[in-house]
Amino acid sequence: MSRVLQARGVVMTFRNGDEETEVLRGIDVALETGELVALVGASGSGKSTLLSILGLLLRPTAGEIEIAGQRVEGMSERARAAFRNQRLGFVFQFHHLLPDFSAMENVAFPAAAPAGGISPEMRRRALSLLDRVGLADRADFPATRLSGGQKQRVAIARALMNKPDLVIADEPTGNLDLRSAGQVLDLMEEVNREDGGTFLICTHDEHVAARCSRRIQLVDGRVQAQDEGSDHRD
Amino acid sequence: MFALKVARRYLTSNPAQTVLLVTGVALGVTVFIFITALIEGLAIRLTDQVTANSAHVTLEPPTRLAEILTGDEAVRTEGVALVSTFQRRQIRAWRSTAELITRQPGVSALSPQISGNAFLVKGEAVQPVSVTGLEPEGLDAITPITPNLVSGQGALGADGLLIGTQLAEDLGLTAGQPVLLRTDRGGERLLTVRGVFKTGLQSLDSRVAFLSLQTARPLFDLPEGVTNIEIKLDDPGRAREVADFLAGATGLRATPWQEKNLNLEDALEAQGRTGTLIQLFSLISIVIGVASALVLSAYRRRSEVGIMRAFGISGGFIVAVFMLQGLLIGLAGGLLGCVSGYGLCTFLASLTDAEGNAPLPIAPERGGYVAVLILTTLGAVLASAFPARSASRIDPLEAIQQ
Repeated sequence: MSRVLQARGVVMTFRNGDEETEVLRGIDVALETGELVALVGASGSGKSTLLSILGLLLRPTAGEIEIAGQRVEGMSERARAAFRNQRLGFVFQFHHLLPDFSAMENVAFPAAAPAGGISPEMRRRALSLLDRVGLADRADFPATRLSGGQKQRVAIARALMNKPDLVIADEPTGNLDLRSAGQVLDLMEEVNREDGGTFLICTHDEHVAARCSRRIQLVDGRVQAQDEGSDHRD
Repeated sequence: MFALKVARRYLTSNPAQTVLLVTGVALGVTVFIFITALIEGLAIRLTDQVTANSAHVTLEPPTRLAEILTGDEAVRTEGVALVSTFQRRQIRAWRSTAELITRQPGVSALSPQISGNAFLVKGEAVQPVSVTGLEPEGLDAITPITPNLVSGQGALGADGLLIGTQLAEDLGLTAGQPVLLRTDRGGERLLTVRGVFKTGLQSLDSRVAFLSLQTARPLFDLPEGVTNIEIKLDDPGRAREVADFLAGATGLRATPWQEKNLNLEDALEAQGRTGTLIQLFSLISIVIGVASALVLSAYRRRSEVGIMRAFGISGGFIVAVFMLQGLLIGLAGGLLGCVSGYGLCTFLASLTDAEGNAPLPIAPERGGYVAVLILTTLGAVLASAFPARSASRIDPLEAIQQ
């Protein structure tokens, strides 16, 4: 296994006038290829902030971050955007699908926009990903006509479109009913197990965390523990 | 181009709003075209009315202005050149000048003339007249006389004279009657009124008499030359350009019709400026309309744009999507506006009053269609620049967390 993510001494301080709030106080985390890791913690523990920093959506106040062998903290905004596009995948609590596009177009979007169009190869991959998430028959459906669970499965397919080194998921089942949430978790586990995809899932749901191979517990901006999960996959 | 596909999809996702937006742009373009065609039509009508009975360019001998001469600085001499008045002011080489003029593109007619002042005497009645001696075959070259004859005929002959209705009335003359012409050069001859015309212009109908060039020569003591050459052009708007060229080429004084009608030119310019202001306001309203619609669109699509930015889609792509929306709206509205503007102008131009005249002097073919289409499209693209820029700067994290 190779190391996908290595963060050392990540500090994040928010300034509001004269008042400073230190949200992350020296975080050290590492993820190996093929891991399915849960990032857990109480509200305000800093897990969403850490996820945003590791997803290159936020710059830390201090610390070093290396993703897929590349140091990212010194990158320009343009380079960070290109890196996010090529190396990272995102799944959010709300699916954020583009309502004016079909399921297939939504999946292909991250590859199509930089390339200037959906090539036949992109279409094939998008359809294969939709097949993977069990929505091959919904490929031409407008995003607005899909159910909540289906939309989140399309969002997972979209996150996988550019074959990312790391998929960052922020409460991916937070908006779903139990059945849909179970399907989404099954899907992520399956992709992790069969394709070796690496997932970092931010959650406050104990059931979700329990299905991950490892959990990173944040308390008050620090990593309190990194435990092996109960690993229900076997 | 994927950005174009996204822009098109955004526009078609809300057809009612897009149709309203394009209609608004088209209305602005229609107003622009109507104003342009009206102002152009008015200028054409006024110009036609003013120049219908007169020349577009007049060539005359140079003026006799005294000139101050300054010598070498070291010698410090100074003197005044006095222009001789011992010779008649005339264009001697008028035949070669006429040939030169005929070769110029855009010249539709010319008339070498001997012009001078005289009195018409009929018994005890005496009237001052402005006499124009011209070649009989070129009688209608500058002023359409023959079509405006109310009595008699247009053949001048060796002793013929054509006068206006007002002058005929003042002297109690009718076609076929004799009248004595006494010029300011002392020439005197009994002529016959061949015809009486009515142009509708007071200055022509009451003050001008036409006779042949050959008849005029002895009367004005001018055996060779002419006093002026009158020129008509296909496009009166080129009069200054042609006059400048002819002045340079012949050394004569060339006066375009505009310089003889400075008040009209001022009025046309003021009218043109008013039109430009209205056109400008039309364009501004188009730009504001497109900008406000796209600002709203960018705001409504914040989370979509945010998610695109999170995926690493470049700011340039987002800018392209919004600017292409502006381009499509401008192009569609511009084309629709051109069609409706042309339709409106053509309809208005076809309306006539009881006398068969068009109440609105509108020129549908002068609506400035290409200009307004380019300006509208550019304006709409420009209008989309601000919303496009602000959309491209949406913080993905902020947009996603909303």
